[in-house]
Amino acid sequence: MAKKRYAMLIDLRRCMGCHSCSVACKAENDVPLSKFRSWVKVIEKGKYPHMKRSFLPVLCNNCEKPICNQNCPVRATYVRDDGIVMVNQHRCIGCMYCMASCPYDVRYINPLKNIVQKCFFCHHRVDAGLVPACVETCPGRARIFGDINDPSSEISRVMATNAVTVLKYDLGTDPRVFYIEGDQDAMNPMKGVDVNKLEFRVGE
Amino acid sequence: MMNDISIIYNTPHSMPLGILIAQYFYLTGLSAGSFVVSVIAILGGKEEYKPLGKIGAVLAPVCLVMAPLNLIADMWQPARFWHLFFYFNPQSPITYGSLLLTSYPISATIYAYFVYTNNQKMAKLFAIIGIPLAISVHGYTGFILALGKGRVLWNTALMPTLFLVSAMVSGIALMIIIASIRNKYMSKGWTDEEKEKDKGLIFGLGKFMAGTIVADMFLLLNDVLILFTSTQDAYHAADMLLFGKFAPKFIGVEIVLGAFIPLIILMLPKTNKKLWAVNLASLLVMIGIFAMRFSVVVGGQSLPLH
Repeated sequence: MAKKRYAMLIDLRRCMGCHSCSVACKAENDVPLSKFRSWVKVIEKGKYPHMKRSFLPVLCNNCEKPICNQNCPVRATYVRDDGIVMVNQHRCIGCMYCMASCPYDVRYINPLKNIVQKCFFCHHRVDAGLVPACVETCPGRARIFGDINDPSSEISRVMATNAVTVLKYDLGTDPRVFYIEGDQDAMNPMKGVDVNKLEFRVGE
Repeated sequence: MMNDISIIYNTPHSMPLGILIAQYFYLTGLSAGSFVVSVIAILGGKEEYKPLGKIGAVLAPVCLVMAPLNLIADMWQPARFWHLFFYFNPQSPITYGSLLLTSYPISATIYAYFVYTNNQKMAKLFAIIGIPLAISVHGYTGFILALGKGRVLWNTALMPTLFLVSAMVSGIALMIIIASIRNKYMSKGWTDEEKEKDKGLIFGLGKFMAGTIVADMFLLLNDVLILFTSTQDAYHAADMLLFGKFAPKFIGVEIVLGAFIPLIILMLPKTNKKLWAVNLASLLVMIGIFAMRFSVVVGGQSLPLH
């Protein structure tokens, strides 16, 4: 049997922007105030009456070739056999180099534990045979979690029959969070941002 | 079409590396630069270069002892610094950094000891050992940024070279200032001829600095030009540096104040033989290089990634 490789597929046709996933994640993983492991970016485009909101739920992509894993100086970041990228909380020195090199900006400092954390696909739930909290809670059933190495799993079947994209494909990180009908304007971080009015915040 | 897109909700993007890291890069740059100049003076072998060799030999370890303090202060778990030596990951540039940051100051201190005790043979030996260490202790900081894949301003092959050249610029500037202080306040008992000779050395350093400034500007030109013609993110980064939020720091302080004005001072025959003018140029260069470190570290992180 092939090795397991967990991945998530987010069907944006079903996402209604309710932010339940953000709330479920916060409750499940004890995410500190003002930090997020999973959130929903909302953009609005067009002018009334021809306009639409697009949602983009974002979480750690648990990349196949994670640059955070390569750059962590103490091997606190490691990759499990099933592909989940983890942070060893007893080893992390909090140098924040992984946060600086992550192209998706999904890592944060936990100011209570003084270490770096991120989404681990709720590995404690996965190990117990459950799906991650955001998948469990999604009222639109927009999220599918499963093993993409198993061709008969739900995620493999849906991915095979739909057009899927990933975030920042060109960086070669091989993200393992896929989107159906991802809007390129929502997926582009620079869209709707004025370079002259960037928030200026020094230090985490 | 582009103006019709507005972001309704997003989480704020974070800026993990701040002023402390910029300051760390600056201090290692000063150390590596002054060490290289000191070694050139010592290996050159001429008796009149000796004072420069001595100044550089002191500045290098002093700057480098201060540098890692910034890193420790920036860490969230400073007591776990020993993890860097026990669990090291050979793929990470920080690993090499932690080894270099311990070996280089030791070798630089031994070198300084032999320079001051006039042991030519041993000083030359440790100069040759120290040169690759000095270059890599600063070169690796360029790799830290260059391997930061997500940030388009950092992820360029030019970064290590750019850092090394700007380290030379700032190191020479610091040496000019210290050598001038020595010339002015520690010259009791010197004859006028000796004083003039010492000044001649400082002006020589000034010419050397002008050369490195030109090299630095050339690399910066390459960097910005290629950013403008590369990917869309790169275009936005260049836009931010030249016309956006970082324009006053980048164009104003780093390029005009920190490179062009010093270059004019060092080129004009009227001013490049005056001690105050060369010192002013060095001070401006040091400010300019700090602005460069700041705009690379902080500017590189100010573009949103999600």
